Amino acid sequence: MAVCRARSLTLAGIDALPVEVEVDVSAGLPGFSIVGLPDTAVQEARERVKVAISNSGYKFPTKKVIVNLAPAHLRKEGSAFDLPIALAVLAASGAVPVESLGEAGLVGELSLDGGLRGIRGALSMAEGARREGMPRLVLPESNANEAAAIGDVGVYGVRTLREAVDFLGGRTSVEPASVGENGRVEEEFQDSDFADVAGQGFAKRALEVAAAGGHNVLMSGPPGSGKTMLARRMPGILPPLTTQESIEVTKVHSAAGEGRGTLIRTRPFRAPHHTISTSGLAGGGSNPRPGEVSLAHHGVLFLDEFPEFSRTTLEVLRQPLEDGHVTISRVAATLSYPARVTLVCSMNPCPCGYAGDRRRACRCSAGQIERYQSRISGPLLDRLDLFVDVPRLTREELRETGAAEPSQAIRERVAAAREIQTERQGMPNSTLAGRRLREVCAIGGDAEALLSRAIDRMGLSGRGHDRVLRVARTVADISGEKDIQVEHLAEALNYRRSSLLER
Amino acid sequence: MSARERAAYLFLSLLQARVGSSVISRLGDLAPDTVFTMSSRELAARIKLTDRSRQAFEDLKTTFNAEDTERRLAEKGIRAVTLTDEEYPERLREIPDSPPALFVNGELPAGTAVAIVGSRKCTVSGIEAARELGRALGERGVCVVSGLALGIDAAAHEGVLIGDGPTVGVLGCGIDVIYPKRNRDLYGRVSRSGAVISEYYLGEAPLAWRFPARNRIIAGLCETLVVVEAAERSGALITARHALDSGSDVWAVPGPIGTAECRGSNKLLAEGAGMIWDIPEFVESVAPMQEELPQRKDRESEAALPAGLPPHEAAVLSGVGFEPTEVDVISSRSGVGMRDLLPALTMLELKGYVGRNVSGAFVRRISV
Repeated sequence: MAVCRARSLTLAGIDALPVEVEVDVSAGLPGFSIVGLPDTAVQEARERVKVAISNSGYKFPTKKVIVNLAPAHLRKEGSAFDLPIALAVLAASGAVPVESLGEAGLVGELSLDGGLRGIRGALSMAEGARREGMPRLVLPESNANEAAAIGDVGVYGVRTLREAVDFLGGRTSVEPASVGENGRVEEEFQDSDFADVAGQGFAKRALEVAAAGGHNVLMSGPPGSGKTMLARRMPGILPPLTTQESIEVTKVHSAAGEGRGTLIRTRPFRAPHHTISTSGLAGGGSNPRPGEVSLAHHGVLFLDEFPEFSRTTLEVLRQPLEDGHVTISRVAATLSYPARVTLVCSMNPCPCGYAGDRRRACRCSAGQIERYQSRISGPLLDRLDLFVDVPRLTREELRETGAAEPSQAIRERVAAAREIQTERQGMPNSTLAGRRLREVCAIGGDAEALLSRAIDRMGLSGRGHDRVLRVARTVADISGEKDIQVEHLAEALNYRRSSLLER
Repeated sequence: MSARERAAYLFLSLLQARVGSSVISRLGDLAPDTVFTMSSRELAARIKLTDRSRQAFEDLKTTFNAEDTERRLAEKGIRAVTLTDEEYPERLREIPDSPPALFVNGELPAGTAVAIVGSRKCTVSGIEAARELGRALGERGVCVVSGLALGIDAAAHEGVLIGDGPTVGVLGCGIDVIYPKRNRDLYGRVSRSGAVISEYYLGEAPLAWRFPARNRIIAGLCETLVVVEAAERSGALITARHALDSGSDVWAVPGPIGTAECRGSNKLLAEGAGMIWDIPEFVESVAPMQEELPQRKDRESEAALPAGLPPHEAAVLSGVGFEPTEVDVISSRSGVGMRDLLPALTMLELKGYVGRNVSGAFVRRISV
């Protein structure tokens, strides 16, 4: 009997590559083998496929069945090949017309009763299907909404193997899936709005500036001052995701098996614990998965208790902060995950947490404080543009006269400022450096004089100088000013490191 | 007679600065102006002078010119107050070894005076205690006397200046010699809101033996002495000894056990010095509250805002306290929104009106 082919896809990083599933059923001792660099999960497909086929009311051929996954050099992993293998076997044994498989992309994991289970990376698969010219994609129903977001490819969600056979054979019809309507952005963030944070106007303003320029922030303050609460509200003031960004974010989450089954429209917020491993943060593992920094792609990566993170763990953040992606090299393959994040870090000013606090004495010696502060690696500190001290305020001090500004109002200002930046230089201000920085952040006259006075009196370093210019540019953008004025520079100078942190 | 007596005290003052020991106390009942007529042999017989000191006496006798001495002082805006003058502090006359003359830059304040002394090398909390004590006393109008040295002394002076009270700095070197150099700014501010005084004439060097000698003046000027932080062998303990000898009250600020900087002051407590466990309580006991206090407050807030600031910066400055004030607190106190507040704070910082402390809070600075 002839060889039957089915088309499928596999994940590499967050992108899907085409895989051809070839099945040959020939005379000989009954057997079932899979070749083509399959991993354990793929090998186990044999048992699942066999049982699922019989439990769906078909007969598994009592012949020699060989499955080849091509291209042979690409390592195949995961359970998404169950469906194409089962369908190709059925076609090869004559239970399904061969031509019905056609050019459709098939992915899905089978359960023993012939039902279909969700897979990782559905959106990436749909994107791969479009790129490879597959007219339609058949996948488990739970993934259909997510995959439909890509458009141009007919996405059909099915619940069982039998449904897939009937649909491909033209005996039943299935509605093409459409993008699920999920809640509007405002509703998504209604639990964490800046309006709920009493006081802390300074920190809020700093986060607004950070959001507007894509700057990374370090908040320093004693326990209970509200650093985490503030950080959690950061995604809500970033401009809404564009469709392209939504797709990227969803791809990453889906590839990590953290998809929500629909297109993700809100900016992610990730707060890994400080005990996280290097590969947990950057991604990797023998079955590579995106790490926290990629899961925070286009969103906020919040590192609470910043100095508690191990130095080697934090070092891996240098590449993503620089290039916007993480490269993972393994023996088998080199993968790249996107990782363009806004980094928000928080730390206590000293080991006991109360240095500089007015109501509680700090128990740390100067040496302890210095050691604690120097735990953060220099290169990473250089990637931070804003430093904010978040004090612990009493209830009376927190009482504000007017109502706090809602996140939406801040978000609108942020979005406008971002737009100015995109128009001017095509990238956020945080990435400005070197000649570009001097061009875009040219200051003159009074501002120049102010800056040189600040350098003298506040002991600003060369790096500190660039940092202040970048931040001042963002402050000016928020005000919609073309040039950096004295007051913008003066405000930016407030976001420098307190001397406790100065190296 | 009085002019001649005054000249004699000036002469004795200059002589003591060279001899390094008290001449006047050993003159006993002799009228001071007899030194002009005495030969070095006669003097040496009375007060046991070394050969070098005898030589110094001879030299001084030939070169001394009272008018010239006073004129040179006047050129620098400094006065000499001798034992014969009415202005000479009463309490200081009582001590066994009163300086024959004090050189004064400024005005000696009247009224209650409290000395605050301590080590130059001290802890941060010591600095803070000295400053707070100084401020609390200053706000009550009590004069704070200290030694214009680094550490506790400087903090005490700073504190009383913040509290807008009178203060006196007693030097261990010539009246126009600024030592340590770092205190130049403080020297000027102390002389303006009180006086800088010394028993040493213009240009005398800060020799090691002059500082313990200076301590007897600090103790002698005050009825109350506070030791903030003193190691076991600290000059502050010498001052405390002098104070006890002249019957003054000695108080000390308790420090943590085992801290070297506090061993001396803690030992004083063990020996019966008054314990300062609460600053307001202490201030109340040395200078009970009087009616005039509210007026002082008014004057203080009036003087607080320097002229010539743009209105919005002045508004912001009014919200910054002398204690560390967080940005948000400044905002709510001054009623200035965050976007206008932040630039204004930077401007105030650059102009030197406020400082930013280690935890990012702002502190009002005494304008220079």
